[in-house]
Amino acid sequence: MAYRILIVDDSPAMRAFVRRVIDLSGFELSTCLEASNGIEALDCLRREWVDAILTDINMPVMDGEEFVRQIEGDPLLRSIPVIIISTDGTAHRVERMLTLGARGYVVKPFRPEELRAELERTLEVPL
Amino acid sequence: MTDVELETVLAECTEAVLEQMFFVRAFNGSPHSPPQELAVQVAFSGQPSGCLVLRIGAAAARSIAADFLGEEECVLSLRQVTEVICELANIICGSVLSRVESDTTFRLENPRVIGPEEVALFTGISHSVLVGDSTLTAAVHMDSPVCLTPA
Repeated sequence: MAYRILIVDDSPAMRAFVRRVIDLSGFELSTCLEASNGIEALDCLRREWVDAILTDINMPVMDGEEFVRQIEGDPLLRSIPVIIISTDGTAHRVERMLTLGARGYVVKPFRPEELRAELERTLEVPL
Repeated sequence: MTDVELETVLAECTEAVLEQMFFVRAFNGSPHSPPQELAVQVAFSGQPSGCLVLRIGAAAARSIAADFLGEEECVLSLRQVTEVICELANIICGSVLSRVESDTTFRLENPRVIGPEEVALFTGISHSVLVGDSTLTAAVHMDSPVCLTPA
């Protein structure tokens, strides 16, 4: 099965890197959408369905924390798993984002196989 | 936390970031200012607050950016190279701060390119590595003493 993913990060370089890492890891993607902040991401989600969302936290306009709150508060979107990709690996941040509803958390720096493993775990991809 | 401990954290984080996400093997180096250098500063707020400065030779910056983006060096714009080095600084800074015990969530400001005058004024704990033929130096200044969280 090939998956549809949305990558949310205000850094174009980071979005390109995440997309590339997913491709290189062999994870099957049919579509990879991008947004630079939470508002753009919500606009995208209201037009297109995705199987998973990968999002940064520290972004302008709408940050990752508020974005996850919005996702969880929307009955049409809350079933989409959200994976956080962040430089902040502190225990209280991780706990906070998971409490808000994120299903996974990847701390930068990460190896490509770590991101793939978190995607597979979150999406319950059969081994 | 002593300056030696902070330098150790900075060294470990810098090398881990370069290896895991930028696919660069770094070797111990000495501070050196190449003729064309890119310098980026990331300010952070929280407990502690402070800033990190990353300096790298222009040629090494382009090489790192090409590896990160999976592109040939010659096709990259200066903007793309700068964006990648800003992201490198951002990740190193976040990695260091995640190792530092903090009672509040830290927040990173957007990285910004700084000139030689600002570089000259910056004081902090630094660590240098060789990247190819060039030196990459990461330096961090904390506004207050910090406690270290075990890795």
